[in-house]
Amino acid sequence: MHSVNSILALFYRELKISYRNFSDILSILMFFLLGILIFVFSIGPNTEIFNEIGIGVIWTLILLSNNLSLRKFYQNDFNDGSIILLHMSGLSYELIVLIKIMIIWIFLQLPFFIIIPLAAILLNIELPNVNLILISFLIGSPILTSIASISGSMNLLNQRNFAIGSVIIMILSIPIIIFSVGIINASEEIVRAQLQILIGILFFFLAITPWVSAACIKLAIQNK
Amino acid sequence: MLLANNISFYRNNNIIFKDVSLALPPQKIINITGANGIGKTTLLKILTHVLIPKKGNIFWNGKNIKKNLFNYYKDVTFVMDKQTSNINLSVIENIFFWKKLFSSIISKKEIDAILDLLSLDNYRNTPINYLSNGEIKKLELTRLVIEQKKLWMLDEPYIGLDIETINLLNETFINHTKSGGMIIFSSHYVPDIPNIENLQLENYAQR
Repeated sequence: MHSVNSILALFYRELKISYRNFSDILSILMFFLLGILIFVFSIGPNTEIFNEIGIGVIWTLILLSNNLSLRKFYQNDFNDGSIILLHMSGLSYELIVLIKIMIIWIFLQLPFFIIIPLAAILLNIELPNVNLILISFLIGSPILTSIASISGSMNLLNQRNFAIGSVIIMILSIPIIIFSVGIINASEEIVRAQLQILIGILFFFLAITPWVSAACIKLAIQNK
Repeated sequence: MLLANNISFYRNNNIIFKDVSLALPPQKIINITGANGIGKTTLLKILTHVLIPKKGNIFWNGKNIKKNLFNYYKDVTFVMDKQTSNINLSVIENIFFWKKLFSSIISKKEIDAILDLLSLDNYRNTPINYLSNGEIKKLELTRLVIEQKKLWMLDEPYIGLDIETINLLNETFINHTKSGGMIIFSSHYVPDIPNIENLQLENYAQR
C-alpha cells in the first residue's frame, strides 16, 4: 500500500512539473515542424520526391527532436538529490525509471500524433502512408523514449560533453529507423513482419531500460 | 538502535576515514564534527546506504541494512545538504508531495501550524525559485515532521538558519529524543542539548 501511494505521488508530481514546463514541449514541436519546412525549402517543389523520401524525413526529425528531451530525464532530480529521496521513500530506481519513461512518453511523444499528420500534409504524403507512419510511430516512440532514458542516465556524471548523449541515441536508434521507414516501401506481405520486428525491439528495450538506467543512476550516485 | 562497525571508506585509493564505529541508542544525539573535507557528509551518506563503504557493516535494530534496506528506510529521514524541493512547485505543493510520497498521516492543521511556526505561511503558493536560501532550508526541515520517522539524519542542519529557527530546531530535537527518537547530524556548531555526544572524525582520518 505504501509504495502504491508513493508511485501515485511521483506520477502526480512529474505530471505537474511537465505541465509547468509546457513551453519546452512546444519548442520541441516547433523544432520538428521547422525542420520539416527546411527540408521542403531545400529540396524544392518536387512532389514526387517528397512522396518517396517524406517518411524518412519525418522519422529523422522525430529522432533529432528526441535528442532535445535528453536532459529532461534525470539531471534535475540527480543534481538536487531528490532521486535519493525518492529511493528512500521505498521506490526502487528501476521503478522510478519506468515512471519517468511513462511521463516523458505522454508529454513529449503523444503531441507528435497531432503534429505528424500536419507534417505529412506539408510533405504531400498520401493518406494510407500517413496511417503507416502513425502506426510505426506508435510502436517506435516508446523505444525512442527508452533509448533517451538510457542515454540520459549514462550522462549523469558527465557535466561537460553533452553531445555524447545525442551520439548514443543516434547509434541505438539505427534499427528503429531501418524498420519503421522500411514499412512504406515494403510489399504488403512484409509490412506485418516489419511491424512485428519493431514490436520485438520495443519489448526488448522496455525489458532492459529500467535495469540499465537504474544501474547507471546507482553508479552516478556512488561516484559523485 | 543504529550500530556501525568499523566502517572504512576509500576514494580513489585515498583513505577518507578508517574503522569508524558508532552506536546510537534511542534518546541519544550524535554530532559529527571535523574540519572541511574530513568526510562528514560521506559518513552520513554511508549510514543511509547512499554510498557503500569499502569495509564494515551497519545494523539497524540488529539487522544488516544491506539486506533490509527498505525496512531501514521506513525509519529514516535524511535531510541532505542540498535542497530536495522541486523549484517548479510551490511550497505547499512540495509539502503535499512529501506527505503523499511517505504516506504520512499528518493532518492539514498540523501542516498549517508548522508553516506558521517557520513563518513560511505567506509563501504557501510561491514557487521555490523565489524563496531565499534560509527559507528553502526551513522547508527542507519540515520533512522531519512530515515523515514522522524514528531516526533523523541531518547534514549541516544549521546552515542558513536565523537564531529563532535554530532555537526552534534545537527544541524539536529535544522533543524528538524525549519521545524515543534518535538523531545524528553533522555540524561545526555544537548546540546546547542534553544527551548529545560528539564524534570527532579527525580521530579516524589517516593523513
